[in-house]
Amino acid sequence: MTPDMELALAARAENIAIVRHALGGFGEAFAVPEPKLSDIRLAVTEACANVVVHAYPEGDEGPMEVVASMRGDELTVLVRDWGRGIKPRPDSPGLGLGLSLIAALAEQVQLGHDSNEHTEVRMTFALDEERLGVNGHSP
Amino acid sequence: MRGRAAEEHRHEQAIGNLTRVRVANGPLVEPVLRRVVSMVLARADWPVDRLDDALLVCDALCAHAPAYASDGRLAFSVQADEHEAELRVLELTADGATELVRDTMLPVVGNVLERIADSVSIEPERHGEGSQLVIALSSS
Repeated sequence: MTPDMELALAARAENIAIVRHALGGFGEAFAVPEPKLSDIRLAVTEACANVVVHAYPEGDEGPMEVVASMRGDELTVLVRDWGRGIKPRPDSPGLGLGLSLIAALAEQVQLGHDSNEHTEVRMTFALDEERLGVNGHSP
Repeated sequence: MRGRAAEEHRHEQAIGNLTRVRVANGPLVEPVLRRVVSMVLARADWPVDRLDDALLVCDALCAHAPAYASDGRLAFSVQADEHEAELRVLELTADGATELVRDTMLPVVGNVLERIADSVSIEPERHGEGSQLVIALSSS
């Protein structure tokens, strides 16, 4: 499946805003309804925040990749890192709500690895029929 | 560029201030390119006037670059600090970067990219036979 959009950038907190805005552009092009787009941005923000906080040892910097694909009425977003994977971390600075929040916002969430053993969070969002009434095309 | 070499290249490119984006040709190009460039320059504290100039460059690229994208998707990278920014249109066909500069020529005005940017140059792709268009901008 060829993605519609791929972003690769350093896993830094300040770069999450770039991802969020790029998704805003994606949503505009596909006429994704704003309430749904807001949910998508929040879920992807959480997944990116997980990468920034957990993927790389403190002091190291690595890449973060976001891949978005629209197929029919379904949007899949992958957030991928090249780090140490998703593991329980007792010293986590976060509240530990990230994955629960993502699970609540997305129709489907899969945690795993790609063919190169990079850690990835795959989120699938079902877009309601309202979108196709506004813009039935796929770029 | 495929497989491991592509992976290593992407890894190398993603580190630092570089943001690299690839989008399918069509309606995605303009909203994504404009927003990413806006965010990168805003974060680098660019003045609004120069940020707007950079968006004029984006508009010209969105209008013409997809025609020269080598695989039906437009790839670009952007990096900036408070003084300088570099916008690269990547993975163009072998003559794509040259043709793209030619396409952005306007009667009387001249070349839009060259009028706004500090420099416009063409480089070969690091892997393969394609070309890149490199646009350098300054914040003042």
